[in-house]
Amino acid sequence: MKRVSSFILPVVLVLAAVVFPLVLGPYPQTVARTVFKYMALALTWDMLFRSGQVSFGVAGFFGLGTYATVLLAVKAGFSFPLAMLLGAVIAAVFAYALGFLVLQLRGTYFSITTLALAEIFRVILRNWTSFSGGPEGIVLQQIVFGGQSKALYWLNLGVLLVVLLVSVWLENSKFHFALTSIRDNEVSAQTSGVNIFRTLLIVFTITAFLQGLVGAVDVVSYGYAMPDSAFDANYTLLPLAMVLLGGEHSTWGPVIGSVLLGVASEYLKLKIPYGHLLVYGVIIILVILFMPRGLLGFFRRKKGANRG
Amino acid sequence: MAKLTTKKLTKQFGGLVAVHDVSFSIVSGEILGIIGPNGAGKTTFINLISGIYAPTSGTIKFEGKDISVMPAHERAKIGIARTYQLIHPMEDLNLLENVMVGFLFAGNKSMKEARLAATELCTEMGLERLEREVSQLTMLEVKKMEIAHALANTPKVLFLDEIMAGLNTDETKEMIALVKRLARERNLAVGVVEHVMGVIRELTDRVIVLEAGEIIAEGPYEIVSKNKRVIEAYLGGATDAEN
Repeated sequence: MKRVSSFILPVVLVLAAVVFPLVLGPYPQTVARTVFKYMALALTWDMLFRSGQVSFGVAGFFGLGTYATVLLAVKAGFSFPLAMLLGAVIAAVFAYALGFLVLQLRGTYFSITTLALAEIFRVILRNWTSFSGGPEGIVLQQIVFGGQSKALYWLNLGVLLVVLLVSVWLENSKFHFALTSIRDNEVSAQTSGVNIFRTLLIVFTITAFLQGLVGAVDVVSYGYAMPDSAFDANYTLLPLAMVLLGGEHSTWGPVIGSVLLGVASEYLKLKIPYGHLLVYGVIIILVILFMPRGLLGFFRRKKGANRG
Repeated sequence: MAKLTTKKLTKQFGGLVAVHDVSFSIVSGEILGIIGPNGAGKTTFINLISGIYAPTSGTIKFEGKDISVMPAHERAKIGIARTYQLIHPMEDLNLLENVMVGFLFAGNKSMKEARLAATELCTEMGLERLEREVSQLTMLEVKKMEIAHALANTPKVLFLDEIMAGLNTDETKEMIALVKRLARERNLAVGVVEHVMGVIRELTDRVIVLEAGEIIAEGPYEIVSKNKRVIEAYLGGATDAEN
């Protein structure tokens, strides 16, 4: 019974998301696409964070996916689906190769190195003008689906669903145990047979693939790539804030956090341009002070306290 | 035949030699006590055997095979398990899930199999209400969970690092009986690090005494405890040698 009921809410939400564009116009659809993008990135960031590793490299792999897609489509004439898939694969290949180095590091050393990698990608693409178009970036000849709002919405939703499925799979497979034991006690995890490096490398590569895929979908939806926007630090920082608000180490947490912050920032952008970042900052400080495990953790604890 | 042997095993941290030329062996079904004053190198020795540290020199053989440079997670798979002196259970996993980890990874079982095997093992050890969080467990239950966590590797060699610390007299008695039973039933080679000599006397077939990283005595507890060097080593360090 419990298993069945726990499926009802997700199924209803997904169905609502699918029929959303039939009911509401282009503007809400665009807002929803932005929320989906950040929700997907927040989920991927959390997947690695379930092992305790704090990556600041999300923007790096997002940007790699973006640029690989655009270059394959424009310079090599690949079709959109193929360019997008390869774009994500290229981000994953970079993560796999770099993982051999950065996943030897822990704590702040790991975080700072991933941040530096994202910056290096940006600087190279910004300066290698003959290859990447330099600071002005590259423009696609056309947007996917001719820019049809509904089609773009469903494409972005589709990618989000893929990310959600991966997140749920990680939560319900052996990976849940591997990642949690690495987070809680690396030494003891090893002596229970967990291959720590291999586990981290697999998850790092999977999340980079998904981040690259989100970047690929983003670029074919908007039609251009520029180094400063494709590697925007917000792609690293906002997902992190969303996870902290919603609740870490889960699928629901990033989903809740990204809807709240995504919608709030859209509203605030209209009311106080650029001021929304200030509000962001205040929200994050309040969450860390009063709900260190996010909304989900806060309410779970309350429920637990009531029970006894 | 010896299950596990070390030959001239040495671990150096900078200028400090924590374990020096330790050669020992342990056979299946045997419970070996490892004693010595604080800082004698007992835990470092276990860390070497379980693969947390790589030896500076010397060899470790398991069932005749050299495992000196084998990574810790592979040693877990071939049948080496241990508990930790400072207990850090997986706080984000419940009692049953903590025990499942070894079955999942060292034993390479599926989720379903691991859940079943862990439930069986916990029941065998007298653990109940397995969905509880670790923070809700008593000290005795935590210690039992630690042993179950190690036994989930389905080990042939098991090292228990101060598993009795923090238990009262009755609980210690129960634990001694439990460890004996588990070792006999599974034909395990067990290494026990303990400070309480009463436990060592009750539990072990044989004892090795470490001081400053070296073996200074070896034999049954009754004989080793009368050894002059052993008494001196303890009088210099701990005061519970006569407990």
